[in-house]
Parts: sequence; structure tokens; C-alpha cells
Amino acid sequence: MAQGLLRLCRVSRFYGERAVLRNIELVLAPGQALLVVGPNGAGKSTLLRLLAGLLPPSEGEITTELAPGEIGYLGHKTLIYPKLTARANLAFWQAMFGLPRDDAPIEAVLARVGLSRFADEEAGVFSRGMSQRLSLARVFLTGPRLLLLDEPASGLDPASAAMLRREIRAAADAGAAVAWVSHNVAADLAVCDRVVLLRGCRVAYDGPARDFDPSGLAGECVC
Amino acid sequence: MIRLCALAAAAVSILAQYAIWFYAPVEETMGEVQKIFYTHMPMAWWSLVSFVVVFVASILYLAKRRDVYARLAGAAAELGVLMSGLALATGMCWAKPIWGVWWTWDPRLTTTLVMWFVYAAYLLLRASDVGGQRKDTVLAVLGIVAFLDVPLVFISARYWRSIHPAVLGSQGGGMEPEMWLAMAANLVAMGLLWLALLAARTKQLAAGAAVTALLRHGASRN
Amino acid sequence: MLGAALAVARKDLKLALSGAQGLVQTVLLGLLLIFIMSLSREPGEMSPPLAAAAIFWLATAFGQILVFNFLYGLEEAEGARLGLLLSPAPTQSVWLGKAVAGWVLLFCCQLVFAPAAVAFLGQSVAGSVGLGLLVVAAVDWGLCALGSLLGALSVGRSSRESLLTVILFPLLVPALLAGIRLLETVISGRGLEAVGAWTGTVVAFDAVFTAAALILFPFLYTGEE
Repeated sequence: MAQGLLRLCRVSRFYGERAVLRNIELVLAPGQALLVVGPNGAGKSTLLRLLAGLLPPSEGEITTELAPGEIGYLGHKTLIYPKLTARANLAFWQAMFGLPRDDAPIEAVLARVGLSRFADEEAGVFSRGMSQRLSLARVFLTGPRLLLLDEPASGLDPASAAMLRREIRAAADAGAAVAWVSHNVAADLAVCDRVVLLRGCRVAYDGPARDFDPSGLAGECVC
Repeated sequence: MIRLCALAAAAVSILAQYAIWFYAPVEETMGEVQKIFYTHMPMAWWSLVSFVVVFVASILYLAKRRDVYARLAGAAAELGVLMSGLALATGMCWAKPIWGVWWTWDPRLTTTLVMWFVYAAYLLLRASDVGGQRKDTVLAVLGIVAFLDVPLVFISARYWRSIHPAVLGSQGGGMEPEMWLAMAANLVAMGLLWLALLAARTKQLAAGAAVTALLRHGASRN
Repeated sequence: MLGAALAVARKDLKLALSGAQGLVQTVLLGLLLIFIMSLSREPGEMSPPLAAAAIFWLATAFGQILVFNFLYGLEEAEGARLGLLLSPAPTQSVWLGKAVAGWVLLFCCQLVFAPAAVAFLGQSVAGSVGLGLLVVAAVDWGLCALGSLLGALSVGRSSRESLLTVILFPLLVPALLAGIRLLETVISGRGLEAVGAWTGTVVAFDAVFTAAALILFPFLYTGEE
């Protein structure tokens, strides 16, 4: 297998005595957009947290050539401080990531996600979709080499979801690795290179996106 | 090993009890009450040893991440709380007739009481769901922090008292050789009992973990 | 590390002072404690300086629990802890940032507690106020170093403030004893001969738990729930 940014070797994860993932083998390559699909409880979110290094594996090994701070993670929660303005939120993450204090990149990412008009409003008043867009802005701000997005389209309107797909494709084309959990397989299949299907804690399919047949997913995803 | 320890503890205990009641002479000023001391001091000692074990096992757990250390720390903490609690209770029973009060400010007493509080909280945490998946790590950190606190508590408790004149002399001064021998026998007996309990409890916790693991891997084979 | 710690501290202080909810609750609880404790003396009598100092530190200790629950609660509300962990800054910078923010907040609360203690407990300060501030600041650092370390206990699925109280209070005993004695010295102007020993205790406490927190915090503050 090709040398990847991140490699999972026979990784399992348990919560107490309950297995969530078993014997997962996975390599993330730069420039590749990977779509992770599967029914609820298949371990998709856990897989993303393992990839992010936020969870240690119960068994197996994860090797990475990424330096700290090169991962952009978007989870179920938005990682936003509701009492700070959108701009102050981003400025905080800029400082935490050791980036020079500069307004220009913040303006740029806010424009990318279409929040420029709301930059000085408290993030707490944002709708779910706007919070999600602010989260995306945070991920883009730090210019990560690996993007881990857990249902990034949740709460987004169709236009924003299309914007998201464009951004993901652009990030992958610029050389970043993307792993991306989604239930909207029909629409997202077109922009990704590779699909991993998780079912019953294991990898049920891992291969090129064009060979993936979503019809077997009836009832599990939007197909 | 556990059985051997337990048997030895039983044998030595009989000897030690004999030493307390028939071999060691009755202390002149304190009378029969002084005999509590033979039980009190070994328990205080071995509770301190328990806390040292918690400390060392916690460091080893953080360094090596082996579950056996977490279980050892847990078992030792349980024993430590039990023994320091009993040491405090027996100490009070001794203090009332001798000093005329149940409780007084003494560095050793205060340190033991504070340690009892800390490790009782540690056990409370063990029984709760704090930390979720990280519970063992959380407990190991607490086990280390708690032990670092012990010398500080002792020093500050001593300063606190020293501002007022010490009312009470040190305990157990002027013991006769027979008394020392009885004390040694009791120390050994309590130590063997401690070791047997520690090993048994660690083994029990390991058995519990093994059942959990069986559930986990048994399911994987199906 | 220092830059990230400052960013955390600045952000936390901004959040604590803008919403002010956390701080107001802490101040109110402390004032209530001091008032209730003032019932332990007959009307018209003075509380002994030792009692006043003890009540002051009791109010501080309870305030500290609220402060650190608030500070770590900020990161849990929308899962920001994960972002902090993924940043390139060492995890210890979160501990340091929170400890500094907590230290400032606690000191602000004490600025209210001190006159309240003087008023409700009938004290007159005989010693130097400057020395008093120095003592309080030094003892506070020990409290905050340990509070910031153990405040991380209350992250994740199960955060129980009451549990933090039970664990933290006995561990704080050395710092509290030293704080009480030193403050008594400041209030009464007597007992100066023991100041050296107590200062040593405070410095030792601060040093031990700062070092312990720097080593142990990364174990506590992780992405696991």
C-alpha cells in the first residue's frame, strides 16, 4: 500500500465491553477525498476521532507523519464559544494555533463560508447552519493537511452544502487528505475519490468511489 | 500465595494476641487501655504503606498503561482507607481515657485524618463514573497528587500546633522490651494480613476484568 | 506554550467578565458564607482574627470550586476541548491559561470578600495591607495550580461539582492552614516569628503542585469522553 499521511493498522476500539470498531486497516493519502458511510452506530464518528488522535485505539497502531496542529476536525459539536463574536472565535483559534495575529485570513475564510456580514455578531445567536459554517471557517483558517469532517453538511441548506462540496474538492485538489462522514451519499459520491463503508464495526467496502454501488445501502443513507 | 499469606497471618496473629494479653506487662500509668496500642500502630503503619503502594502503582500505570497497576492501586487504596479508618477509631478509644479528649490537634492525627479524607474521596471517585473511559487515568493522577500532599499536610499540621505549647508528650515513650516484642509480632501479623488482603483483592479485581474481556472477545468470535 | 496559555487566559477572562454570571455567583456565595459565619459570634463582639481568616479562606475555597467548574465548563459547552487538543500548543498551556484566569478571577472575588470579612466579622487590620495582598496572591496560586489540574476532572460526560469539592478540599489543607495563619498575622499584627515557616510551606505547596500539574495534566485532559 502507498505511503500515507496517516495509517491505521489492525485498530480496534471498545467502549467498556462493547466493540465499536474491529481490526480496521486504513491509509489516508494526500490529495484524496475519502467518504465514510454506514448506518448509525457503525463507528464512523469513532473512526474520525481515532484518526484525529483524540481517542487512543484499544488495540492496534496508528502511525502518522503529521505534525501537531495539521489536522482540521469538525465534529458533532461546533467547537464555538457562544459568547464570543464570530471574528473573536476565529481570532482565538488563530492564537491557539500559533498563527500570526492577522485579520486578513479571518476575513478571507469568513467570506469563503459566506459569514462576512455576521462577523461581529455573537456566535450564540447563530442558527445551526450558520454555526456549522463558522466551524468550517475555523477548519479552513488553520490550513490543515488532513481534514476530518463528521457530517459537515448537517444543518446546511442545499446551496451551502454545494459550497461545502466545492470546498472539500478544492482542499483535496490542493493536496490535503480529507476523510468525511456523510449520509447524503447520492450527492457526495460525485466529489470524492474513495469510499469506505463501515458496517457491524468492520470495513465492508474500501475502494474507488466510481466502483461503489450505493443501492445496497437502502434505508441506511440517502441514495 | 494468598492462601499461604492468610495462613501465616492467622498463625502469627494468634501468637501476637497471646503476646498482647499474656506476655507484655500491663503499662503502669495507662493500664489495660494501653493494649489498644498494639493494634492501633500496626494499622496506622500498614495504611501508610498502602498509600505508598497507591502512589507507586499510579506512576507505573501512567508510565506503562497496564491495567494490573490500576487494580493494584485500587486494592491498596481500599485497604489504606480501611486501616487508617480503624487506626483513627482505635486511636480515639485510646485518647479518651488517656488524654481526656476524643480528638486533639496532633500532626500525626491530622495527617492521618486528611489522608483518610483524600483516599475516601479517591474510592468515591472509583465507584462513580467520573472520567468515563479515562477513569483509571484520572484515578492514577489523583493517587499521585494525593501522596504528594502528605508531607505538606504533615509539615503544616506541625507548624500549626507549634505556635501553642505542646500539651501532650509523644506517645509510647518508655516501653519495656517485652512490649516492643509484642509490638513487632503485631506488626508482622498485620502485615501478613495486609498482604493477603491486597493480593486477594487485586486478584478479585483482575477476575472481574477477565470476565469483561471474555464478554468482549467472546462476542467477537460469534 | 506561553502564547497559547495567554490566549486561553485572555479568552476565559473575556467570557467570565462579559457574561459575569459565573463571577457573580461566586461572589454572592462567598458573601453569604461570610455573613452566615458572622452568626457564630454574639452581636457586638469581635470574631477572633483566626476565625475571620479561616472564614475568608473558606469563602475562597468554595469560590474556587465554582470558578474552575465555570472555566472548564466553557470548553465543554460546544466541545471546544477537542479544538484545544488538536492545536499545536502543548496541552499544559490549557492548564496554565486556566490557572492564570482562575487566579485573576479568584483575586477579584477576594477583593469583595476582604472588606465583607472586615465588616461582618468586626475586624480591624493591624498589619500591613501590602503583605496581606502578597500572602493572598501566593496562596491563591497554589489553590489555582491544583484547582486547574483537578478542574479537568469535571470534563466529559459526567461533571459533578460536589465530587470536586470532596476531592479538592482535603488536598488544599496545607495551603489553607498556611493562608489562615498568615492572614491572622496580617490582621492582628502578632505572631510574626512564624511567618518564615509558613511562607516556606506556601512556596513548597505552590512549587510541588505546579510541577505535578505540568507533568500530569496531559494525562487528564484528553479527547476521551
